[in-house]
Order: sequence, then structure tokens, then C-alpha cells
Amino acid sequence: MKLNRIWAMLLKFWYITINRPDRIFDIIYWPVIDLFVWGFASVFIQQVSDVSFLSMFLGGIVLWIFVWRSSQDIAVYVLEDFWGRNLYHQFSSPITLTEHMFSVMLFAFFRSICTFVVLTILAFIMYRFFIFSIAPFIFIAASIAILSLFGWAMGLFVTSLVLRFGQRIQVLAWSSVWIVQPFSCVFYPLSALPTWAVPVAKVLPTTYVFEGLRAIINGNLVNISSLLYSLVLTLIFLVLTSFLIRIAFKHAKSSGLLARGD
Amino acid sequence: MNPIVVKSLKKYFKEKGKTIKAVDNVSFSVKKGEIFGLLGPNGAGKSTTINILTGLLSRDSGSIQILGYEPEENWDYVKNKVNVSTAYYPVTEVLTVKQNLKVYGHLYNVKNLKARINELLSQFELNKISNRKVIKCSTGERTRISLCKGLINNPEVLFLDESTSGLDPDIAEKTRTLIKEYQEKNNTTILFTSHYMYEVEELCKRIAFMSDGKILTIGTSDELKKLIKDQTIEIKVIKNHKDLKKLLKDEGVDILFTEKNTIIFQVTKGSNKTYEILNKIFKAGFKLSHLHINKPTLDDIFIKIARKK
Ligand SMILES: Nc1ncnc2c1ncn2[C@@H]1O[C@H](COP(=O)(O)OP(=O)(O)OP(=O)(O)O)[C@@H](O)[C@H]1O
Ligand SMILES: [Mg+2]
Repeated sequence: MKLNRIWAMLLKFWYITINRPDRIFDIIYWPVIDLFVWGFASVFIQQVSDVSFLSMFLGGIVLWIFVWRSSQDIAVYVLEDFWGRNLYHQFSSPITLTEHMFSVMLFAFFRSICTFVVLTILAFIMYRFFIFSIAPFIFIAASIAILSLFGWAMGLFVTSLVLRFGQRIQVLAWSSVWIVQPFSCVFYPLSALPTWAVPVAKVLPTTYVFEGLRAIINGNLVNISSLLYSLVLTLIFLVLTSFLIRIAFKHAKSSGLLARGD
Repeated sequence: MNPIVVKSLKKYFKEKGKTIKAVDNVSFSVKKGEIFGLLGPNGAGKSTTINILTGLLSRDSGSIQILGYEPEENWDYVKNKVNVSTAYYPVTEVLTVKQNLKVYGHLYNVKNLKARINELLSQFELNKISNRKVIKCSTGERTRISLCKGLINNPEVLFLDESTSGLDPDIAEKTRTLIKEYQEKNNTTILFTSHYMYEVEELCKRIAFMSDGKILTIGTSDELKKLIKDQTIEIKVIKNHKDLKKLLKDEGVDILFTEKNTIIFQVTKGSNKTYEILNKIFKAGFKLSHLHINKPTLDDIFIKIARKK
């Protein structure tokens, strides 16, 4: 990996972001809507129950950002090159696939952090909710790492499909993360899932993070081994999807998709 | 060592069960400092060949060498010294002209990038629009932006795939001059495709004619023109126009056009036959007021090859 090329890509994504207002707007739009809807809903439920709904829901929303942003941004910034028929110049330059994907991941992480900061501040102003006061810093940091890595894996997966099948499946770029969310037990415990869904949930690293968050809110200690297990699962996903994107890239080179870009 | 060497290159595409032989056993090499033209009708396989050389497309078989390396061995070295420009694919459209050049400059690790960008912008007369988004630029402007991108790293090997299409005659002429100057100054090796024959004739030392994925012939434009034996001859006689027509008919030439005293006919067996016929005309005592022999152009060759399909 060469730093000048990573820098070039970050510069490119930065320019795309500042040149297109929608790219700044979408850093906050949906997350803030979520914060409003779920925040007020949980304030209401909190009044009629003694479970700490507010912390669980808002914690879920704020942390889910990392899966969402990472996976969606990766796919969207790659699709951007498709829409602009720009793969031609991009990949005739010295940049490698690894460098390209790594830069997208970094940039997606940067955008996640922006959203995270905005939401953390808003949640405090609106609901006096501060994520770092409900769980130890180390747990939050580990969760952010795991969720971002998993988001990257999802992003790689979608990008592979786009490279393999072309733009016609681009809707996946926006929707895939919402297929995973219900199984990740972001807002409810694993025990609330129907039995057929439990095995799926158990394969997803995200489940362990949100289960862990709820356990801590309920007064338990950080479960290190379950976090480690989740990390291992994430890494397995990353390795598999990295492998997948290599195959898809090879296919794109052979089918002519890179040269034509449609 | 030649900077571009292509040997028995093959690339087939499969589409709905059909095999398209886009590049079918193509071999050629381009010498250092040469501008080499790939000519051929639409779908001949020119772009496919260039895409394989720039690493955008994988090949089925055959070998390629750029700057002495099989690119797969050392893409990093090769790609930093090579570049490509085409009028067909824009650089990133949501970025401004300058932003694009900055991004590509970093991608190719260009030293003194700022100075290089300013130099290119003024050479290609893009200063005025340097802060405009590419999506808002006209076709000709985009073409020049793509050329700037292609030259940003001072490439040793440059691929130009119809990189001048869409330019107005004035700018096209200036652009050709720029390419030529740049090439002479840096002794750049250029592989060039274009549908403008005069451009190819003006720029390229050697030309390869491609059709249906195969190279039919390689040579200088003069050598290629000799391949076509057809000559069109236009004469005007002062009188006895009908007798002349009869003489030509007896010689078995194709009469293409007659009107008043003007006759246009075609000789298909080369210049010797032409002189033989003209000799007979003079000996028979016809007085000519006009004589014009049209030599074949690259266009004629192009059309002939394209129609043979
Ligand atoms: N990705 C692809 N999938 C299927 N067929 C392809 C693909 N790319 C090119 N072809 C086919 O391969 C042949 C050669 O195409 P190519 O683009 O190399 O032609 P060309 O000589 O550049 O033509 P033009 O002068 O029109 O640019 C054409 O028949 C084309 O339809
Ligand atoms: Mg072409």
C-alpha cells in the first residue's frame, strides 16, 4: 500500500462530499430522524415501565450508526465511480483494489465518527443521554471497532455483488444493512426472537455487542469473552468478504465491466 | 527493447452463448518514441487491445510487455510510467477540473504537482474553467481535461483511445500540435486510435489496420496506400468526346461519370495501367484541357477494409 494513493482517494472522497450537499446532509438526516422517533417513543415507554428503555434504545441507535454508515458508504462511494463511469481512469491508474477499498473504509469511518458525534451531542441535549455514562469507555470503543469492521465486511459484500452483477443490483447498497438489523437484536434481547431466527442472530457479531450493552445497562460487568467471540466472528466475515471481492474484481476485469463501467 | 510488445494476444467475450472474438491473435510492437496508430472500423478490437494494455481487462492468452515488464509482474512500476486518455470516459464528474488533476496527480505520485497542473491547464487552455465541475464542461473541454489527466505524470508510454474526438477543428489542430510537441520533447511512445484519417496520417509513423479482432496489415501510411491499386482519373477533352469514351470502353476501364466533355474513370490495376491508357489517348490525338489523377487516401483504404467484412 502506498500512502500517496490512499491520500489521493481520501482527497477525492472529500471533494465529492463537499461538492455534493446531499453527501453532507446524509451524514445526519436519517440518524437524527431515528433519534427523534425512537427517543420520544422510549421516553414514553420509560414512563410506564421500570426497564431502562431510554438507554437501551438510544444506545442501540447511536452504536448502529457504525454498521450502517460503514456498509452503506463503502457501497455508495464505489457506485459513485460507476455512475460517473469513472472506473476506467480509476483502475488504469496505479491504485490497487486493496488501496481503493482501504481508503473507502477509512473515509466511511470518518463519516461514522461525524454522525456519532452529532448524535451523541443531540441525545444529550434532548434526553440527557450520554453514551459514555451508561457503559465503560473500553466497551464502547470495542463495540465501535467491532461494528465498524462488520459494516466494512457488509460493504465489501455489497460491492462484490455490484462488481459481479453491475449497477442493476445497486438497491442492495441501501437495503442490505436493514436486512441484518432485525437479527442483530439492536433494540430487543435475543430471547425476544422467534426460535428460527436465533441461529442467524448467533452468527452475527453485532448481536453480542448489543446483548452486551443491555447487560451492562442492567448492572452486569463487561463480558470480555463474548466481545472476543464477536470480534473473531467479525474477522471471519471480513476475511470471507475480502476473498469475495477479489473474485468479483477478477470477474469485472475479465467481463469488461471495469473498462466500460456499466 | 521496445516499450510495447504484444504477442498472440487473445480476448474473447461471451454474450448469450455467442462468442465475440474481440481480439484474435494480435501481435505488434511499438518502438521507443514512436506514435503507432491502430486503425479499423467500429468493433475491430482497438479499445479492447488498449484496455488489456492498461490493465482494465484481463486477456485470455498471449503475452504483453510494457517497458520491458509483463505488467502483472510489476504493475506498480509500469502503471506509474504509463497513462491513458480517451474522450469516452470522463474523469470524476462531480469534481472540478483542478480537483480531478490534484487527485490524479497524487495517484501517480507527481512531483511539483501544483506547477504541473498549472502548466497543463494553460497548455490546454483550461485556465478559465479550472474551477468548474467536469459535469458542467462541454464535450471538447472534457476531452482536453482527459488529455491533461493523461499527461499529468509525464508518461513514458501513452495510450490515446480516440482522445481527440469531439474537438472543434481549431482546438483539434492545437491538440495535435501539443501531442506532437510533447512526444518530440519527451520521446514518448504513443499507441493511438482515431477515426480521423488525416490525424492518423499526420501523427503516426506506422499504422496497423485491424478488423474483426485481427491485424490485417502494418506499415507507414505510404506503404498502406500502395496496397490499393485503384486510381480515379478525371479528364476533359476539347472535342471528340464520344470517340474517347469508345476508346476507354475498349480498354475495359470502369467509366464512373460522363458529362459534356468530362469523363471520370477508374483504373484498378495500378499506375502502370494508368500510364498505358493515357499514352493511348495522347497517341490517338485527343486534346485534353484537364487531367487529374486521384491517388488513394487512407480513407479509401479504411472504407475498403471496412466493407470487406
Ligand atoms: N465487455 C464486453 N462484452 C462483450 N463484448 C464486448 C465487450 N467489449 C467489447 N466487446 C465487443 O468486442 C468487439 C471489439 O470492441 P472494441 O471496443 O475493442 O472495438 P473498437 O475497435 O474499439 O471499436 P470503436 O471504433 O467502435 O471504438 C466489439 O464487437 C464489441 O461489441
Ligand atoms: Mg474503441
